[in-house]
Amino acid sequence: MESHVVPDSAKISPFLVYYVIISLQVGIGVLSYQRILAKQAGHDGWISIVIIGIVIHIIMWMMFKMAETAEGDIISVHQYVIGNMAGKVVSFLLVFYFMLYIIIVLLNFIEVIQIWMFPDLSTFWFSLALMILSTYLVFGGFRTVVGSSFFGLVLPAYLVLTFVFTFRYTDFTQLLPIAEHSITDLLKGSYYMSLTVVGFEILLFVYPFIKEPKKSKKWAHLAVLTTTVFYTLLALISFAYFSEAQLQKTIWGTLSMWQIVQLPFVERFEYIGVANWILILLPNIVISLWVASRLLKRTTKLRQRKGTILISVIVVIVVKFFDTGQEIQALNDLTEKIIFGFAFVYIPLLFFATMITKRVKKR
Amino acid sequence: MSIWDKFKKNNNDWQTLLKQSTDYQSTYYINTKTNNRFDFHFFSTLIDEQIVQESALPALLNEELHTLDDIKKIVPIADVQISKDPSDIEQKIFNGYVLITLDSDKNRYGFIAAQKEIVRGLSQPEIEFSVIGPKEAFVESIGQNLNLIRKRLPIKELISEEFTVGSLSKTRVAVLHIEGITNSENVETVKQRLTNIEIDSISDSSYIVELLSDNSNSLFPQLLDTERPDRVAAILSEGKVAIVVDGSPHVLIAPTTLIEFFSAFEDYFLNWIVASFFRLVRVFAVIFSILVTPIYVAALTYHFELIPSDLLGTLVTSRRAIPLPPILEALFLELTIELLREAGARLPTKVGQTIGIVGGIVIGTASVEAGLTSNVLLIFVALGALGSFTTPVYKMSNTIRLLRFPFLLFAQLWGVLGIVFCFCILTAHLLRLTSLGRPFLAPIYPLRIKDMKDSIIRSPLQDMSSRPTVLRTQNPKRFNKKKAKKVNDIDEESAK
Repeated sequence: MESHVVPDSAKISPFLVYYVIISLQVGIGVLSYQRILAKQAGHDGWISIVIIGIVIHIIMWMMFKMAETAEGDIISVHQYVIGNMAGKVVSFLLVFYFMLYIIIVLLNFIEVIQIWMFPDLSTFWFSLALMILSTYLVFGGFRTVVGSSFFGLVLPAYLVLTFVFTFRYTDFTQLLPIAEHSITDLLKGSYYMSLTVVGFEILLFVYPFIKEPKKSKKWAHLAVLTTTVFYTLLALISFAYFSEAQLQKTIWGTLSMWQIVQLPFVERFEYIGVANWILILLPNIVISLWVASRLLKRTTKLRQRKGTILISVIVVIVVKFFDTGQEIQALNDLTEKIIFGFAFVYIPLLFFATMITKRVKKR
Repeated sequence: MSIWDKFKKNNNDWQTLLKQSTDYQSTYYINTKTNNRFDFHFFSTLIDEQIVQESALPALLNEELHTLDDIKKIVPIADVQISKDPSDIEQKIFNGYVLITLDSDKNRYGFIAAQKEIVRGLSQPEIEFSVIGPKEAFVESIGQNLNLIRKRLPIKELISEEFTVGSLSKTRVAVLHIEGITNSENVETVKQRLTNIEIDSISDSSYIVELLSDNSNSLFPQLLDTERPDRVAAILSEGKVAIVVDGSPHVLIAPTTLIEFFSAFEDYFLNWIVASFFRLVRVFAVIFSILVTPIYVAALTYHFELIPSDLLGTLVTSRRAIPLPPILEALFLELTIELLREAGARLPTKVGQTIGIVGGIVIGTASVEAGLTSNVLLIFVALGALGSFTTPVYKMSNTIRLLRFPFLLFAQLWGVLGIVFCFCILTAHLLRLTSLGRPFLAPIYPLRIKDMKDSIIRSPLQDMSSRPTVLRTQNPKRFNKKKAKKVNDIDEESAK
């Protein structure tokens, strides 16, 4: 099996995995996940988040097992299971997965900006600017990419404090009675959370770039735990702040909550929040771009620099074709299915396939 | 092949070219004891004639002189060299040696050191002035500068290696490091890059900064320059490399990090709490200075809603009669400040001060009264300018001044969104920057909690018992922390 040796200088410390996973998990979904959750599971929505959190922990364990067995990233796993050429072909399809992810992030964010701040912001120019910046970051190598995720998490972390302003208006009795909804409703809620919590599967792609990957296990699980707890708390606050009926009509729950923030020098805090969201979204785009271009490099021998530019150009062109909210919504629904299918169905299946192959190979 | 070499190929006599200069002198004397004739060749402008007259000549005339080797015995000067190679002549003569040829010993050349050292007296540091602490600054002579550093680090481990850079200027460049502490990889990188430099002349250490930088297209200086010997000594013992360039009163330090540019050396002379407070003030000043006008432009162009109604009243009143859009207003004032600064820097000190007062008071007040700018913005711009001057390193403070202009453009383009976007560009650039291949943003990224002790805050000296991990020093421990910080129990005398 051909293996790509990653130089030590490009590898990252194990604890940085924490930032990579969180920064990819926290993205555009945080601004709006409360509504869907309220529709499916009512005020019990937070239980759905806990359920999906536990599932992610299990999948995380599976991914580490797979990566250790195949000693490498997902391409190595594919090659381990279904052979060299077929493995490459299947892995090549994942390039589109990440391109789709970038497109979804860009489209949804630009939509938020257009609705909340600038109605006539040019989708094309803004996405072009973001993609040029992302390309510049990817050219800096994996360490720079991870650096962007580090700053994308640390710098906007103060935003968490702003939710304190809502406490005065919250009524936590709205959460009662607990577990009123059926288990099917709760699981449906979990399904609709998948677009918001996705990103943890990145581990299978960055695994060869981690120094002492065994040590990164606890950080990866801690990252998943952090996001789950964060989402759960935010959901609890949202359910206590909005009434259930109101929440079902509020598309961007998080942004609406910021409207209550009052500071002596800032009136409409959601402007600052939306603007700051670039910092959070940039690592989403940058990491995906890096992964997509690396997949391209490993499957087709295209130089990563060229691959990065190619993917950026395609993304900008595709984004230009989406004009209306309905189109974006349609793409969101489709993406949700694809992402759920990949992260929560395909990866566990691949895990079992890997384990079986391991048994067979041993004999 | 130098001009000299070419010349020597065509002319057998090496003197022909030298004789064209009027300050080239060659005379001959005859030894009284052996009747041996010997010649002196030198540049009168480069040598100290007193040394020749008083030390060399009497001995050469009156003692027994048979061969060139005798010079070493009879002349009371330590640096006497004998060479067979005629190509040494150029280098030695131009370094202030007197060339001696002997009729009886034609194929060899003797050199006596008689350099004339014109050294500016030590002066106070002007750029990195400190109220307390040492008051000496580097001068333009490499010998004097090395002396200042060696006096502060009198150890055999301090290694100084010399290179010659520049095909015409033949500038002496010394690379200093402490053996056993500094990572040898860093030293090798500096040496490698110095030997790879292709340039004709070096005027100042700033040339070396640009030629040694990892990314010379960056706005940010990637080598720290300092005029304080105490700072160089401290940083050498931290495990970094110092580069001393002849003819420049600034010594370079590598590798460096962004945070280092915001720490004044005086911080180490003050109480650590006070010093940490000052550092925080400086960081705040820089952020304020970069962002204040862009936020003004963004808020007044796009986001009136951002401003609370009480504050909005003040802003609207001050802008009521102003015909210009906020971006032009801001650019006008920012450029005015830049003009004042540039004019002040180019003029002699006394005139410069007048310009500052005239510009600051007259132009400022007049432009507000004329209705060109609002007085609120005038305050912001002036405070921003003040903030940028708090940066202790001059080169970095220039960078900070320039940074606000891209922010202004993006603020005009996309409002607050543009400011954050521009901030992302800045962070991306800083993330990619390296100094001698070491990350420029350390210890923030890669995060090293241990190194944070001397970054935005300045911890007590006794707590800084380890060298920065980012430097990968050979000996990470500075001193024994336990011994340094022994705390006695209540009502007990210290155990000895």
